[in-house]
Amino acid sequence: MSIFNKNFIAAGMAGVFVAGMAASAMSADIRVGITMRMISENGQRYGQMVMDEIDMINESGGINGNMLKATLMNDECKSDKGVANAIKLINQQKVHILIGSTCSSVSLPIVDITEKAGVPQIIPHSTNDKITKKGSAWVFRVPVSGRYYAGVNAKYVGENIGKKIAYLCAADAASQNDCDAMQSQMKSQHGADPAYVAQVQEKEVDFRTHMQKIKSAGVDGIMIAALAETMARALTQSYEAGIPASVRRIGSSSASNSPVPSIAGDAAKGVFFAAAYAAADSRPIARLFNEMVKKRYGVNSPDHDFSQAYDLVRITEIALKNADLKLDDENLAADRTAIRDAIANVKDYNGLASGPISFCAAATPQCRDGNRTAVLIAYTKGGKDYKTEVLARVTMPIDFGL
Amino acid sequence: MTAIYSIFGRISETIEKLAAIHRLLPWILAFALLLPLPQILSALFNDYYIYLANKICIFILLSVGLNIVKGFCGQVTVGHVGLYAIGAVSSALISLHFGWSFWLAFPIGILAAGLAGIVVGLPSVRLEGAYLALATLGLGESVRIMIAVTPLFGSSTGLLSIPAPTIGSFTFDSYTNYYYLVLAAAMIGIYLSFSILRSATGRAFMAVREDTVAAAVHGVNVTKYKLLAFVISALYAGAAGGLFAHMPPGYIHHNNFTIIEMVTLLLMIVLGGIGHIWGGIIGAIIVTIIYDQTLEFYFYQPLLFGLTMVLIVIFMPRGIGGMIDRYLATKKFIASQEEKSNAAS
Amino acid sequence: MPLLETVDLSKSFGGLRAISNLNINIEAGSIHGLIGPNGSGKSTFFNLVTGVYQPDPGSKIIFNGHDITKSASHDIGALGIARTFQLLRLFSEMTVLQNLMVGYHTHVPYGFMSTIFNNSAVVKKDAETKSEMMELLELIGMADYADMPASELSGGQRRLVALGRAMAMRPKLLMLDEPAAGLSPVNVDNLLSIVMALKQRFGLTVLIVEHILKVVMETCDTVTVLDYGEKIGEGSPDAVKDDHAVIEAYLGQEMDDDEVRKAFNS
Ligand SMILES: Nc1ncnc2c1ncn2[C@@H]1O[C@H](COP(=O)(O)OP(=O)(O)O)[C@@H](O)[C@H]1O
Ligand SMILES: [Mg+2]
Repeated sequence: MSIFNKNFIAAGMAGVFVAGMAASAMSADIRVGITMRMISENGQRYGQMVMDEIDMINESGGINGNMLKATLMNDECKSDKGVANAIKLINQQKVHILIGSTCSSVSLPIVDITEKAGVPQIIPHSTNDKITKKGSAWVFRVPVSGRYYAGVNAKYVGENIGKKIAYLCAADAASQNDCDAMQSQMKSQHGADPAYVAQVQEKEVDFRTHMQKIKSAGVDGIMIAALAETMARALTQSYEAGIPASVRRIGSSSASNSPVPSIAGDAAKGVFFAAAYAAADSRPIARLFNEMVKKRYGVNSPDHDFSQAYDLVRITEIALKNADLKLDDENLAADRTAIRDAIANVKDYNGLASGPISFCAAATPQCRDGNRTAVLIAYTKGGKDYKTEVLARVTMPIDFGL
Repeated sequence: MTAIYSIFGRISETIEKLAAIHRLLPWILAFALLLPLPQILSALFNDYYIYLANKICIFILLSVGLNIVKGFCGQVTVGHVGLYAIGAVSSALISLHFGWSFWLAFPIGILAAGLAGIVVGLPSVRLEGAYLALATLGLGESVRIMIAVTPLFGSSTGLLSIPAPTIGSFTFDSYTNYYYLVLAAAMIGIYLSFSILRSATGRAFMAVREDTVAAAVHGVNVTKYKLLAFVISALYAGAAGGLFAHMPPGYIHHNNFTIIEMVTLLLMIVLGGIGHIWGGIIGAIIVTIIYDQTLEFYFYQPLLFGLTMVLIVIFMPRGIGGMIDRYLATKKFIASQEEKSNAAS
Repeated sequence: MPLLETVDLSKSFGGLRAISNLNINIEAGSIHGLIGPNGSGKSTFFNLVTGVYQPDPGSKIIFNGHDITKSASHDIGALGIARTFQLLRLFSEMTVLQNLMVGYHTHVPYGFMSTIFNNSAVVKKDAETKSEMMELLELIGMADYADMPASELSGGQRRLVALGRAMAMRPKLLMLDEPAAGLSPVNVDNLLSIVMALKQRFGLTVLIVEHILKVVMETCDTVTVLDYGEKIGEGSPDAVKDDHAVIEAYLGQEMDDDEVRKAFNS
């Protein structure tokens, strides 16, 4: 019964040892480390999509004949776990490239780890603008940076909805960032101060008091910045409080996640948000992608976290194909550098994202926030079989928000 | 099984022998022996294990502190991780905003946590058991929530680029370098815990844990010792927090201080031995390693940890430390009885 | 002047008057017995004197010239009152030696700060205390068990440890609450001789609650009899033995002299 058994310890030590030796003895594989938030249903699907796409690359012959060997780890959206994962992947798996993470609060500290270790890091979902402002030469961001989103939303809202906006801001990193940015953009673009600001917990369930206050404030629109489930609850409660549909609901970036319309139902109708991908996009590539996601993961109208995971693998594939890799122990550092440089050389990648993605060599946000085209999407129907339409498509100037 | 026990027996004998030569000798020797661990780990395994060694040292400080208040003084607390957070945020903020050196910020963080320890400990004067657990849980969680909603404390983005400590031109900015710092801190922490727990203070803590009425009647100021235990454990948590904050990559976020971390800490002292002087140390080492080796099963980890905790509480209430102790005490008793009967015959 | 004096000591629990206007003087150097039927308030008296319970207003407890009516338990202990508990209340997860070391708490010659800043002195002082406690354990015949957890001892051994722990306080007044309960006759004699030896050696004053009347009759100088929280008799064992009010309260019925004698001597 006891774990304090001689054999157990011996086996454990041997296991650790063999794992360590095996990692350093590997060659001819391109090792890819992934750390993502694998806790919600969709979070796991995003991770699975990365793994599936990597498998498909291998099935069709790999990269210039070399197989990709991917290790997926869960960071639970916790920075210390993400840091541990990154260090483990870099030192134990000796990965050539690190993909991650989902949460900005995890990607932020990992930037320092990859920079110091000299490992290219490519980010699938985190939008916090500080990530690229750190000035690491090793980091690349596939999603649209928060600094661009803020401009898009505020521009559209100020010109088409009104200037009297209430804010409901949840305490997670992405939502706080979206909320702060939107407020300062409304001020700088339209000189508008917030009509009401409510700070709530990351997983708050009761917004009734705030909604009553917002109702009596008589605003033109409400920005609800929260993670999907929380946002859905807030939307429903905004109608329960009697705030009319004429007051437009503005979502933060996670409004794109499918739980928002499925949980909020009718309350999601009219909600719009800025995103990097529109499922309502009429391009053939988007139609095919939507079908594929539905078939593989049972999800209708995939959100941009699916498309970004997909685009990320494609960009990685392009870069790896172009990099001159030795894939032996002596050249690990050189290979990592080659991959970094190859990613920096990706220009005008046209994938699922609403606009082209380009990187460049300088360790600046201009070079590493590769995607600056956002699309405004509105739900036209809520529920499980929700429908969306494209409101507008805006490419921001490269220096915007710096 | 007995082989393991006798190894521990041998170790404790050796420690006693060394201590007989000079009180600090075992400590200095242990420090010297553990100093080249990064190089050994790097040669045997890889640099990831150096990071793990850093983490273990920080967890040792946390669990040794928790064991003082929970294991020795018997005060249920679920607020320990809140004190850890206070140490981390205070030290980080002071060096980020005032640009003060780690060597100033770190002790201030420890003191801040110690002061907060009084607040967390106050309910213990009136409350016991589940009620005390709830009160301390509330205080610990409100610290986390405070951090989560206050931009100054990092709120959602966290505090980043917390500078690494330096001495002259030597910077503790790699895990190998930082290990020297956390190892020294852990050793000092362990040494002080031994000093405290093996003195009248430690005995008074245990008396309070066993029976407050009997303790009071025998001259122990129960309130004073309860608060003292809370403050000491808070100082440990504060030190652990400061070390965590300044450890590369110098980043802290409120979700590092949740109830999950608290449960992990509790598991450490339950497994290592609640109220055993080595309990926090054994627990921190084993739990950190097992946790790391089972990362792939993240889905089942909470279940696994919960089950382990229940099984230990039922079958091994005094943890690993208690089992070893029992074995050694019984052996010693049998030996002394044999000696007696030999002398008589 | 008596060593312990209570004036109009009362204690009510809700409507129940557990101790009622009790005036007791315990003379220094005496062995004072406290008897009475179950529930008559003997243990409550102990708890009042040692600050475990707060007495009702108007009560007064004076020990060795100090008014301890409102004092905290740990201060009372420091003044020199030691007691045992009817249910022992040992520190069961601590060793026998540690139990005694806690008893010594108020005499520990160093403060908390020296455990950190002058630990070598602490270690030295503790070693001295330890050998002093070992001597005490020798006296009560428990030295062999010094490192055993109290929870692993037999009932008789635990009673001895409780006595040792109280003695470790170096008290002036030792209060024993049914110290011989549940012991075999041999063990009762053993315990009594230990108590007598300790009293001689340390010049104690002893207050003893005991159900085995033989014990009380043989050892006490003065006996106080309680019934329903009131003093119903006091005097030398012989005088109390012949007091009919006492006999009635204690045994609940009139008996002839023979029966009484039997009851008191068994
Ligand atoms: N804490 C308490 N709360 C309520 N009643 C109590 C308490 N302690 C003692 N009593 C009551 O006081 C009376 C005296 O009890 P006690 O002093 O234990 O008697 P003795 O020791 O003489 O057997 C009993 O009726 C008992 O039930
Ligand atoms: Mg009684």
